[in-house]
Amino acid sequence: MGPRRVIVAVADTGSLIHLEEADALDLLSTVDELVIPQTVYDELEVGDDPPTLSSIAHEVVRARQNLTQVDHSLDPGETAALNAAIGRDAVLLTDDLEARNVAEDENVEVYGSIGVIALAYTRGRTSKQEAADLMRALQRETSLFVTDAVIERGISLLQAEGH
Amino acid sequence: MAAEITDRVQELAEARGVAESEILERALERGVEDLWTDLVLARYVDGEIDRARAIKLVGRDHVKRAEREVKAVEDDITWGLDA
Repeated sequence: MGPRRVIVAVADTGSLIHLEEADALDLLSTVDELVIPQTVYDELEVGDDPPTLSSIAHEVVRARQNLTQVDHSLDPGETAALNAAIGRDAVLLTDDLEARNVAEDENVEVYGSIGVIALAYTRGRTSKQEAADLMRALQRETSLFVTDAVIERGISLLQAEGH
Repeated sequence: MAAEITDRVQELAEARGVAESEILERALERGVEDLWTDLVLARYVDGEIDRARAIKLVGRDHVKRAEREVKAVEDDITWGLDA
């Protein structure tokens, strides 16, 4: 095993909401440096029950406009998060498939809430069973749209891993 | 939840100008359709049916969406386990 990679991640609104709904928001502290654009903060405040981010170390930034909304079909929070990731050579955290497509087009590493849970398992924050339960909670108990068979495919990959 | 469903059925019936029973009938049809789509996609993802069969049963858009989801989840797990 090589040296542990330092992970700088920028979260968009959806990933924060989904992890909060699955009662897994604290797992974001598994990344080494968490960045949240001000635009995402503003979008979270619009919701009925915004996630409590005070318990997670993070930096709030105003993203430069590398891309604008007219370049693609993303919403303002996703655009701001992608811009912040481009500016920092960071990982983008989003559960939106279109945002993932745009990020890949921009050569930005992009992962979602499932990846955060898998990372938390690798870094010793959860057991394998807890990680599997949280992945199922993401599918069943949150507003994340993903087919249950796909989640089970992810869990089988996690369970096949030899840690 | 039951009270919320009752309220929504009532509001839908009023908004659409139809009986509540018709709203419930449509809801049942749509619900069964969604469950059927989930079942077909699960069988496709699990390799029990091939792509052509899945497309025939639920349409290309659903199958392509499921394929994109599978790739995203696989990428996520690989990243999380390797980081």
